[in-house]
Amino acid sequence: MKFMDFISPQAIRADLTAGDKPGVVREMVQALLDAGAIDPGDMESIVKAIMNREELGSTGIGRGVAVPHAKHASVDRLVGTVAVSREGVDFDSLDGEKVYVLFLLVSPLDRPGDHLRALENIARQLRDDRFCRFLKQAKTAEEIRQLLEEADANQFGG
Amino acid sequence: MDQAKTTRTVVVTNRAGLHLRAALQIFQLVREFSVEIELVVDRQRAKATDMLQIVALGASQGTEVTLEAAGPEADAALDALASLFAAGFHEEDS
Repeated sequence: MKFMDFISPQAIRADLTAGDKPGVVREMVQALLDAGAIDPGDMESIVKAIMNREELGSTGIGRGVAVPHAKHASVDRLVGTVAVSREGVDFDSLDGEKVYVLFLLVSPLDRPGDHLRALENIARQLRDDRFCRFLKQAKTAEEIRQLLEEADANQFGG
Repeated sequence: MDQAKTTRTVVVTNRAGLHLRAALQIFQLVREFSVEIELVVDRQRAKATDMLQIVALGASQGTEVTLEAAGPEADAALDALASLFAAGFHEEDS
């Protein structure tokens, strides 16, 4: 699965302003809402589902990256977005480091395969140090979108 | 890993496959032992203590995973890990 199969380009953010985990999760879900990827009535429940999932173990997977996610009945296909925090956010990551790049995923209740393939793609691409570094340094949403498209076209090692 | 390796083949039994929570359980279990373990799927390798590498395997339900262990507690760690895979990572919908 490629990034552009599940990332909503209009929901990409290069300038997260929140300074904590609940704040950035809310900011990213709001971005999905603004992009029309989710319905306004579902926003609170999606934020809550993602925060509940974080309680089971942080999705901060190291290398300054987190993948907050949840299943939610309101979506009929995997939707997601990516965002960069300039200052970094404490995400209770296993390595204790702040998180600078976040991929947020909302999956339908009964589609574990799609979630796994999206995770696989994110993790494979992030093994490339250049891709990781370029993402962290991206200044605009457009730059991030281009990086994801380059990754989709196998421009990085992934 | 230069030391002699002990290997074990397991199967991913849970419905969701090796997603993040499963990777976290593998990480948490393995760090309790004096051991180095790698998971191998086809020719792809992942350190058991690196969640990103584990998730990058993209191992779905039914996938065979070879566990390669080296260290004084290799056998005990492989037993525990094999049990965790067999239990489907204790997921409700597995």
